[in-house]
Amino acid sequence: MTILDGPELADAHPVSREAISREAISREAISREWPGSGHRTGAHTGAHAAPATSAGPSAPANDEWISLLSSPGPGHAEALAGLHQLLLRAARHQVSVMSAQTAGIGEVRRQELIGQAADEAMVAVLGKLASFEGRSRFTTWAYKFGILHAAVEVRRSLWRNREVALELLPEPAAVGHSPEQLAEAADFSEAVSNAIAVELTAHQRQVVMALVVDEVPIDVLADRLGTNRNALYKTLHDARGRLRRHLQDTGYLDETAKGVIP
Amino acid sequence: MNSPQRKLSPDQAHRLTLEAEPWLSCDDCFDQIDFFAERVVSGGFIGMPALRAHLIGCSACGEEARSLVQLLAADDGVDPAPSLRRLSDG
Repeated sequence: MTILDGPELADAHPVSREAISREAISREAISREWPGSGHRTGAHTGAHAAPATSAGPSAPANDEWISLLSSPGPGHAEALAGLHQLLLRAARHQVSVMSAQTAGIGEVRRQELIGQAADEAMVAVLGKLASFEGRSRFTTWAYKFGILHAAVEVRRSLWRNREVALELLPEPAAVGHSPEQLAEAADFSEAVSNAIAVELTAHQRQVVMALVVDEVPIDVLADRLGTNRNALYKTLHDARGRLRRHLQDTGYLDETAKGVIP
Repeated sequence: MNSPQRKLSPDQAHRLTLEAEPWLSCDDCFDQIDFFAERVVSGGFIGMPALRAHLIGCSACGEEARSLVQLLAADDGVDPAPSLRRLSDG
């Protein structure tokens, strides 16, 4: 297999809000289209069993998934139901992973988030079936949609009624060990703060402070600024480059320093 | 909305100056994350330096990648800890 790892693999903006129409399909429509899926209670009457919803030894081959999902016929409805089960599993897993953040939202809302994320992921997966190239198992490929949509839903839900305003958040405390380390770290932090003021544009300052200092989720900030994850990460990446060059020029950063989080 | 002169913690200063190179976009990361995660869980050669750099530089993509690795490990019935270490250690 060719090792692919670059921008030449650009897809059709899978994390752009614009690419995901929430209204594209309703819960009722899902219930009609995919009887027997996840949280529905409709009777399952198909003669064909749905593909297994895990990637174990008995899981169907990738081409079987694509064939069954791509065209109406024997096993189509069961494959749709199986796919929805996969996406529910991924969404449930993601919400569970973020349980520390979701402790206050309640079980009912948590289940709503899971169902909503799975439904939206279903739309996204079916819309991108033609782009599946078989570089991974189909189940893994589908999982990533469920995880993405669940993570975005949780982040948006948690920040729905929160204002993104630095003035409302406490200043961080410095951490360190020896007096020398504390002084050095404080010195570097001050240099970074100064570099932000003199090197970055107003938009770059807004983005880096919100994302890195106030830890506003990138999807939430994208919503507030009317942009998308891709564009904000590019802004952050370019801002980091400017800061690093300034800090290298002023002797605060070694040119070989990677700056990897410890 | 933001004041540029706020006091920064050492960790924040560090994350503001990360070198997430080679460049990779979030879209490209999403496109490749499925077979990257399978490589991580399989224990074989991973490669893909741009994707690895992106996961360090983008906290949202990094969080979702860790989640996918955990889910694959659960499907395979294996402990996710070694895979998560491979994800963070490089």
